[in-house]
Amino acid sequence: MQPNRMLPNRSRTSVLVFLLPPLLLYAAAVLFPILQSLFLSFFSWNGISDMEFVGLDNYVRMFVADDIFWRAFMNALIYLAICLVLQLGGALVVASLLTSLRRGRELIKTLYLLPAVISTVAIAFLFIRIYSLEPVGLLNQLFQWVGLDHLERPWLSDVNTVLAAVSAPEGWRFTGLYMLIIYAALLAVPKELEEAAVLDGASRWTLFTKIRFPYIRPVWITTTIMATTYGLRGFDIPYLMTNGGPGQSSELLTTYMYKAAFTSTDFGYASTISVFIVVECLVAVGLILFVLKRKADS
Amino acid sequence: MKKMLRAAAAAAVTALALTACGGTSSTDPSNVSPTGEIKAREISWLLSRPADGAVINIMKKLAADYAKEHPGFELNLITTPDRPSYIQKLETLAAANKLPELFDTDATPFAQQLAKQGKMMDAEQLLESLGIYGNYRPGALDYQRFDDGSLYMIPFQFELEFIWYNKALLEKAGVAVPTSLDDIPAMCTTLRSAGITPIAIDGQDQWPLERYIAYQPFREAGPEFVQKLKKGEAKFSDPAGQKTVNWMAELGKAKCFQDGFSAQGYSDAQNQFTSGQAAMYNIGTWELPSLATDKLDPSVRNDIDFFTLPTTAGSVTGANEFVSPSGIGMAVNAKTYDPLVSDFLKFALAKYPAEYAATGALSPTTDVETVVPGNATPLYQKALDQANSLGSKQAMPWDTQLDPTTNGRLQQELVLLVQGNISPEQFTETMDKTIAQNAPKFFK
Repeated sequence: MQPNRMLPNRSRTSVLVFLLPPLLLYAAAVLFPILQSLFLSFFSWNGISDMEFVGLDNYVRMFVADDIFWRAFMNALIYLAICLVLQLGGALVVASLLTSLRRGRELIKTLYLLPAVISTVAIAFLFIRIYSLEPVGLLNQLFQWVGLDHLERPWLSDVNTVLAAVSAPEGWRFTGLYMLIIYAALLAVPKELEEAAVLDGASRWTLFTKIRFPYIRPVWITTTIMATTYGLRGFDIPYLMTNGGPGQSSELLTTYMYKAAFTSTDFGYASTISVFIVVECLVAVGLILFVLKRKADS
Repeated sequence: MKKMLRAAAAAAVTALALTACGGTSSTDPSNVSPTGEIKAREISWLLSRPADGAVINIMKKLAADYAKEHPGFELNLITTPDRPSYIQKLETLAAANKLPELFDTDATPFAQQLAKQGKMMDAEQLLESLGIYGNYRPGALDYQRFDDGSLYMIPFQFELEFIWYNKALLEKAGVAVPTSLDDIPAMCTTLRSAGITPIAIDGQDQWPLERYIAYQPFREAGPEFVQKLKKGEAKFSDPAGQKTVNWMAELGKAKCFQDGFSAQGYSDAQNQFTSGQAAMYNIGTWELPSLATDKLDPSVRNDIDFFTLPTTAGSVTGANEFVSPSGIGMAVNAKTYDPLVSDFLKFALAKYPAEYAATGALSPTTDVETVVPGNATPLYQKALDQANSLGSKQAMPWDTQLDPTTNGRLQQELVLLVQGNISPEQFTETMDKTIAQNAPKFFK
């Protein structure tokens, strides 16, 4: 192993000594709470009552008796999908267009990146105004101007549009960030390769699918993992804009867990949901790794 | 990233788990006059009131006065005006057994559990021992009481909730002030057809809409309905329950509230009303400074008036009985109650009413007269006068009555009902089921 060859044998202990504190910190800050949640999920406890062991009751309730839980789970998946399409798709399109631009690249890059540095709370309030119908907000005003009056609606109060409406700001705000990463990757595609392909008569589309995209795939994978983890932890914007409403139309697993813990003071059940989220994340990571491995093998 | 959020949430729960086993209360909640030496120290009041509001300003001043006689004394005021955040903070501290000397709470089921565990001083005995119990308005104290009549919180305010309306807009649409709650849906339809938003409501904070569902049962079955409902002894499928469910659906069908109300905040709603865009607005006397003084937009100033909660045919409660809350109350922690806390409360509570009334607000006591500010419109005095003719019953806001899970679900389903996304039958079924599931845990 590399460290052993680089360091004399007696330093192996010192390496371990230096590795130990971060490991302990990680265990205390991440592993221990996860185990604690697992432990708590077998109890009924409201914070001030005596803890009552209920076995698997919380799990049974979650999987069988709780309609909101499944609703929140589906919502979370849709939220994730919308965020991924907006962030990765949008980023790829903008980055590709940027490379063919001769002037003003820096300006456009900066403009696109701007939302990523605005505070979440400000973004949430901004979009509440944009979606508003009474008084009329920007979006509905735009529809009025272009004559699409029938599309006007209170986007955040309509149960059919609210989930997309709370997902969009999250997608919009990080598009610029991923655009920057993908743009940097696209710049690294060797010009000779592209020119050779063009000489051979490749169309722009072929150029993209056969040369550019395969070249940036490693970066694409990284951004996918980043965007997925961000999407799964989505909480603040839906919480601030609608608090999960109307009804449960924009309730995500995270907001639901938060409510179970801090509104209903049902810490046992909230822990059960958090255990589910842990499992969900492990499955997501497993899926991504599985797909990547298959791609690499093929 | 996901892990971090998870870890934070779990860590919070863990922290609670670790600390919950800490000490238990050592003081007898009825031992209101502790003997011993007054040792000045810093005490804290965890509260949920406006940071620059009258209550905080006055208590700061009184604490400073007290500190002059008792060097070393300090009152540390920790306020979280946003109510949901505050409740989370309070519940977390209660779970950790780390409540400060004084803390705010409504007469919620959670607070009742704290009281049962002997964590709060008996406020009735406390006020009696200070000789000021009789000064309080009965309604102000009743608002703070639990269902069994016990009193553990001390009120600092007294408010009356009215339906404010714009005379000019009602006239324009050709509608009169409603004489019955049942008139309101039809009234909304007429206002809408005249192009006027009938009612401006803060949908984001959810409690304003929840007020409306309390009105019909209060008229139909009195204040007892919600007391039974929350324990599962009454149901939404009962006549009084059905009446309010159907009425709420009618309000929605008649488009009583502004479009997209569920995403609009407190100031949005108030601006709609004070800028003359909405005809009605249901709010309490805490907004008198903005609704009944020259701060109000001159273009609507002479058009604004209010009416109290309309009655219904066969109403069991009177026209002079409506929502008259005394605000969030202050509880005294039994564990940290000592001669100093006792002495400070004696000092502060005796001087508070006069100071508070001087700010133009209604005192929870009757021993002082509210000073009407110089810039007030005649409406100000008219609003204050309503306090003198109140009946003995009051409509309790449901958000202080129901268990938190039921309350959360009710707030969500109510929006769907009013928006027409679910039928009254679906609403009834969901809510009765939710209460049956959650009430037993809280009210056993």
